[in-house]
Amino acid sequence: MKLFTSYNSILSVITLTGLLIIGFLFYQTLGQYINRQIEDHLYEELLEVKDFAHVKNILPSPEGFDDVIVEYKKIHRLTNSHRSFADTNFYNPKKKHNESARYLKTQLVLNGQPYEILIISSKFERQEQIKSIILVILLPVIALLLILWLVNKILIRRMWSPFRQLLTNIKAFNINQEKVFEPIQTNIEEFKELNKAVLEVSLKVKSDYKEIKLFTENASHEMMTPLAVINSKLDTLLQSNSLGKEESEILSDLYKATSKLTKLNQSLLLLVKIDNNQLQAREEINLKTLIEEKLGYFQELIQKRNLNIQSELAEFIIYANRSLVEILVNNLFSNAIRHNYDGGSIRITLTEDNLEFSNTSTQMGLDPLKIFERFYKDNASDGTGLGLAILKQVCIRKNYQLSYCYQREQHHFKIVFKHSENKN
Amino acid sequence: MKFLIVEDEEGLRKSIDQYLTAEGNICDCASNYEQGYQKLSIYDYDCVLLDLTLPDGEGLQLLKYLKKINKADGVLIISARNSLDQKIEGLSLGADDYLIKPFHLSELYARALAIIRRRNFNGNSLLSFNELEIDTASKEVKVNGQLVYLTRKEFDLLLYFLVNKNKVISKSAAVVHIWGDEADMADSFDFIYTHIKNVRKKLTDSGCKDYFQSVYGVGYKFTDA
Repeated sequence: MKLFTSYNSILSVITLTGLLIIGFLFYQTLGQYINRQIEDHLYEELLEVKDFAHVKNILPSPEGFDDVIVEYKKIHRLTNSHRSFADTNFYNPKKKHNESARYLKTQLVLNGQPYEILIISSKFERQEQIKSIILVILLPVIALLLILWLVNKILIRRMWSPFRQLLTNIKAFNINQEKVFEPIQTNIEEFKELNKAVLEVSLKVKSDYKEIKLFTENASHEMMTPLAVINSKLDTLLQSNSLGKEESEILSDLYKATSKLTKLNQSLLLLVKIDNNQLQAREEINLKTLIEEKLGYFQELIQKRNLNIQSELAEFIIYANRSLVEILVNNLFSNAIRHNYDGGSIRITLTEDNLEFSNTSTQMGLDPLKIFERFYKDNASDGTGLGLAILKQVCIRKNYQLSYCYQREQHHFKIVFKHSENKN
Repeated sequence: MKFLIVEDEEGLRKSIDQYLTAEGNICDCASNYEQGYQKLSIYDYDCVLLDLTLPDGEGLQLLKYLKKINKADGVLIISARNSLDQKIEGLSLGADDYLIKPFHLSELYARALAIIRRRNFNGNSLLSFNELEIDTASKEVKVNGQLVYLTRKEFDLLLYFLVNKNKVISKSAAVVHIWGDEADMADSFDFIYTHIKNVRKKLTDSGCKDYFQSVYGVGYKFTDA
């Protein structure tokens, strides 16, 4: 729930209950006040009736005035001489409809004869008064509340706009990109502080990340020279004519190890390079041609493992850095070949906007969340564990969507090229 | 042929020196910028093997100097820096090739010789070994004057072995030479065997002697010894 909605719902519950309670109490008080007024009035009528009987010795006419009706009923003896007031409905003969009213019922002895006297007075006028009073008060209050709600809404929206801007900027912040976090302009102290804090954190993160990248780059570079020395010494050793079978095997293992180290180093350097966005130049690349070229390139490997290749390639041109795209295709190929079994198959599908590699494998489905992580690899793999990480990094850099799934005993790697990204 | 090795890492410099000298070349060594500068000013070389990061200067400055004094020495840059910009800068300054560390000495030699061949193009594009003759310009292989058809990769492989004749070539070096560093398949050196087998068969079928010798599991040697 949004802050404003939550705040608003609490506020409106309180306001509404308050308004209802106040309205109820107000109505009650007003009603009682009016009842008392009518009772006074009825009592006056009673006094008049008494006066009338006393002076004129006759009963006043039942039809009074001012919506007052007096009724007499002869009774045998007085049973209850106190006055009782209550609400009732009566038929107003003058206005010819039912009205709510208040009556006074009492027993009196008039001219020596006990009577039960009922004086009814219409409440209609008074009720109308109450209605208008309540309306006069209620309507402005409701209007005021509405205005308050509106003002609140607008105000809060305006007050939180720097926050929202900040949030957008934080979301847009990408550690991999050169773009630094963009601070917002605001006069509100709290947001200023938040802004400052986020800015500091982003700068710190950025510089730390840069340092780590620099470290990786330098470390990898520094390792290249000793590797070159090892390699050259191995080459020299190879030329000595005194190598027996055992020594040769050791030498062969050493070559493999150095080559793996070299590969690892180069992969790390490549990752840093992609991270640093150093491969920016764009050119037109015909993916179909490129894939066919690579098919020829990997031909020996494919033949050696006796792999069955099915390819369905449509003409498709993208605009990107050639070495990046080559890395992409290379890694897809070597991945599909490396993790396959002898006599397995690879299916390559290139359509208008996506490229898919499917391959059979000795491996069951892999964790799609972990598969693109650096140095994630199964024990059987001879690779560096960086191939897919590089693939992922290239896709992030180029805004391609890379996905992996395991279906019908095949691994599928799919890259969706976004059209807008390709057009220059 | 005469080489200048400008490289500050002693181990590497020695290895290169040994390898090239054993091939019958003359090598001069420079371990820093100053030495390199002096040697370049005084002598002429067929090919200069130039490291970019030197303790007292930048290898590219030597390259610039070489071009300034109008020398025709071939230049092969050997560097651990493998960024595209570096390569482009080096090549546009007039270097002939760019080799990234670590490399195989056989690869270094093959590249250096290719540079020298390109530089002295007149008539020197022919390499021969007994009855075998390779024209590096037209990419043709002849045995006793008869054409042998090799695929592109097979041709490259044969040329590579011929240039490094009498040397043991490791499988790893041969794979890197044919497929380059970028192919991520260093774990499968063994398939180079298929290629060697094919080249061998094509050559012997046309009457060439089999010069390929297997060296235990490490590699091969091209020799008539």
